[in-house]
Amino acid sequence: MLEVKDLKVYFRTREGNVHAVDGVSFHVDEGESLGIVGESGSGKSVTSLSIMRLLQIPPAQIMDGSSIVFQDAELVDMEESEMRKIRGRQIAMIFQDPMTSLNPVLTVERQLIEPLQLHLGLSRGEAHNRARELLEAVGIPDAERRLRSYPHQFSGGMRQRVMIAIAIAANPKLLIADEPTTALDVTVQAQILELINRLRRDLGTSVMLITHDLGVVAGMTDRIIVMYAGKIAETASTDELFANPRHPYTLGLLSAVPRLDEERPTELQTIPGSPPDQLHPIEGCPFQPRCPFVLPQCKQYPPARKIAGNHVAYCWVDVTDPEEQKRAMQRGFIPLTEIGRSYLAQS
Amino acid sequence: MEKPAGTATVNATDALMRVEDLVMHFPITQGILVQRQVGAIKAVDGVSLSVKRGQTLGLVGESGSGKSTIGRCIVRLYKPTSGHIYLDNDDLAVAQGTQLREVRRRVQMIFQDPYASLNPRFTVGGLIAEPMQIHKTGSKAEIRERVEQLLDRVGMNRRFIDRYPHEFSGGQRQRLAIARAIAIEPEFIIADEPVSALDVSIRAQILNLMQRLQDQMGLTYLFVSHDLSVVRHVAPRIAVMYLGKIMEVSDRDEIYSNPLHPYSSALLSAVPIANPRVEKQRKRIILKGDLPSPIHIPPGCRFHTRCPIAQDICRQVEPPLEDKTGSNHLAACHFSDRVGSLTKAGSVQGLGTL
Amino acid sequence: MSTIQSEQSPQAGIGVELTPELLRKRRGQLRIIFDRFIRNKVAVAGLAVLALITLAAIFAPVITHQTATFDPNTATDVYHIASGPIPGHPLGTDYVGRDEVARLLFGARVSLLVGLASMVASIFIGVSVGALAGYYGGWLDNLMMRVTDAFLAIPLYLILFVLAATFTTGSGSASVIGVIVLIAAFSWPATARIVRGEFLGLKEREFLLAARTLGANDFRLMLRHILPNAAGPVIVAATLLVGFNIITESTLSFFNFGVQPPESSWGTMLATSQDYFSEQPLLVLIPGVAILITVLSINLVGDGLRDALDPYMTER
Repeated sequence: MLEVKDLKVYFRTREGNVHAVDGVSFHVDEGESLGIVGESGSGKSVTSLSIMRLLQIPPAQIMDGSSIVFQDAELVDMEESEMRKIRGRQIAMIFQDPMTSLNPVLTVERQLIEPLQLHLGLSRGEAHNRARELLEAVGIPDAERRLRSYPHQFSGGMRQRVMIAIAIAANPKLLIADEPTTALDVTVQAQILELINRLRRDLGTSVMLITHDLGVVAGMTDRIIVMYAGKIAETASTDELFANPRHPYTLGLLSAVPRLDEERPTELQTIPGSPPDQLHPIEGCPFQPRCPFVLPQCKQYPPARKIAGNHVAYCWVDVTDPEEQKRAMQRGFIPLTEIGRSYLAQS
Repeated sequence: MEKPAGTATVNATDALMRVEDLVMHFPITQGILVQRQVGAIKAVDGVSLSVKRGQTLGLVGESGSGKSTIGRCIVRLYKPTSGHIYLDNDDLAVAQGTQLREVRRRVQMIFQDPYASLNPRFTVGGLIAEPMQIHKTGSKAEIRERVEQLLDRVGMNRRFIDRYPHEFSGGQRQRLAIARAIAIEPEFIIADEPVSALDVSIRAQILNLMQRLQDQMGLTYLFVSHDLSVVRHVAPRIAVMYLGKIMEVSDRDEIYSNPLHPYSSALLSAVPIANPRVEKQRKRIILKGDLPSPIHIPPGCRFHTRCPIAQDICRQVEPPLEDKTGSNHLAACHFSDRVGSLTKAGSVQGLGTL
Repeated sequence: MSTIQSEQSPQAGIGVELTPELLRKRRGQLRIIFDRFIRNKVAVAGLAVLALITLAAIFAPVITHQTATFDPNTATDVYHIASGPIPGHPLGTDYVGRDEVARLLFGARVSLLVGLASMVASIFIGVSVGALAGYYGGWLDNLMMRVTDAFLAIPLYLILFVLAATFTTGSGSASVIGVIVLIAAFSWPATARIVRGEFLGLKEREFLLAARTLGANDFRLMLRHILPNAAGPVIVAATLLVGFNIITESTLSFFNFGVQPPESSWGTMLATSQDYFSEQPLLVLIPGVAILITVLSINLVGDGLRDALDPYMTER
């Protein structure tokens, strides 16, 4: 349904081009839920903004050769007037901070009705009824009254629900959720994630979930892309990725955070160094300065290593090779703890 | 006077920090010329805690629980409304003047956001030297020498001494903030969400560093965080806060395998786990509604409005924080024996010892 | 003095490598601001003009008559009165035959001195009031801001005229000091408001809380932590004040409430030549244009500084 090919987005600055997204290709199928995982500067948010065509151009620039095809239509060079019919109607987006993406001086009703009238051509009365239904659908009690409230009168979790209601107002084919729960507390996060899951089931919407938290994607997605420094490091189905991670960065992410489902290590494994500097990208694999498995050939960008089915890792090294592991352990690499391993191995 | 129930945890002989019945109410005032108080935000509403020397106490709660306020009361950014904060035998809650300065030498704080907690106009050297200048711990040359040692200690290059904070990444800045906090060799450190603002791949570096410093310097930590997995990693004893009060205090393994308060249980079940198999099996306790306003705290048990097992008594009688197992596992719940059944299906149990 | 030995655990060093960002040649903060200012061509032009005017004012005696004791107020050329540009008097002479170039340059001395000195005094008052009000808040803030409001509510020129009539009666340089004091006394409220706003915003910032937990006292917090972070707006306000004060001085002098003869500023030049406007419009135009150019340059520099200082200390 959505096919992104060789997407390159650079930001022009005085000191040079920032390679925010640097040759990313992936697709989202009908009804599928895709997770994009990465840290700050990995390019995950820029990717989603490119799909929505919401990037400020300039300084951003979508480079030649990039292609984003949504339902047979090329979005990269689409007229803005055409794009407006897709944005909100076909592809909707929810952001990390619902407060900044809601207009503080308009009631929730006004903001909900707008897409309904614009995209679905509903009359005022119809739109009002639909707006109330939507608020009820996202679990806001006392919807009729809450329609007349302003955004600041809602709590953070409730605001995110309102954002979701606006996003699904026109029954979009694809919902992009960019860190939808990062600003929320865990118990509220659980509420929102459940809501997104339920809506996906009920409406059959495809979901692109962008997050830094591997825990969040584990229960929410069918397939995951791990991004690092504007490039895809690894992609696989969700079960496969967690059971059989093949990129050193994925391995690092899985073991560098304390986990409730594993025995507590005395010291956490670290991913040394700092996040990449996109202004001065390094030759070859961007993870090499931080990678315990690093080899001389990492100076060249690694080819796709096909593991199985749709599982692909961009790495020269076979991280399951005991010899390679031994070498990496001398540089501080700690394999996943036994108990975690054995649990992951169970099916 | 009768001692509050929470003081049962206090073992006066080896506790470095004891908080007793701490209350922090922020008055809400109205009026332009003559201001009168019309209410109060009850951020901390009667909390007792103790932390053993050389140990870490994890303080867990969501935003609005009052966990950060406790930390800020201890370093006396706020003057508590009432209650006591004992560091050894000095009561910080009422300390003033020279005594307060002395206390501030012994108690330091690490803040959440290293982008905000370092003055952008100071150099690295100036930042780390400042506590030593304030407390006059040596000559200019001695302080400079010490700054270099501290940089080594937190894993930063000495050559960075004349640089400015904006030149560093989040993880590096947090290292600087830590160097600053340990510069005057405090005994007690309040770490207020020290890794929450950092990239996932950086958090382990900082947690390990803090752990190493604790071992080397015999530091005592109050580790404030909303992240249960991080707290489990760093703190052998954990307190769970909700709306200004402690709901449960227990040793680490106890609280994760056998929570005795429905709120702890809900918190635990809400933590996403990076394992699709666990995620697909577990059943979450999804709490209803929102956190009540800290201005109008619900009567009885303050959690009853969202509690999945609340009964009539919970709306009327506030449950005391009391030892439920005889092994220093405290919970403030009328029905702590029923919490187990809530979690059986949902929590992360069945993974062996946690 | 320390129980801590510098230790190098095997992992301590791993944490931080030199990222490319840190390897790059480093510029100091002032250098960054300077580089950014330099890029703004209009502001640089303004600064150049200002520098020129200032130098000309300083070296006025040398430029006009190559002697340090020359007094433009008494040196008259009785053969040329209100002459217009002629050889020997490139900008002509005034109604008593004094050289316009010399008067302009010596007037610049007074005008610039008044502008600068009253700015310094006014900034000092404004920063003090704003800092105390913003930092301590409460009743002190209330009191100080009501006073500030009161000052802002006074019709500036009316009160200046009234007060000047009593204050600047002294002649010559005594009147200059009087004007400086007067202007400073009434131009600080705007600065106080700016500074108070900055202090209010900055005092709740985390780095300030951090400094407070270290045991820093109020004085240190205000002077070392908050003020440097509020420097940008204060510098800009200071720059703009110079221009504003020069105009105020001119206005006062124009209505004969300001600088008194024999001392003369651009304002007195305007005042004394207005009667001759129909015969020799140059006499009015010259000081008028001088004021215009100077104040415009100052404001351009102020805008340039604002831009250079404003974006948070990112290296650009």
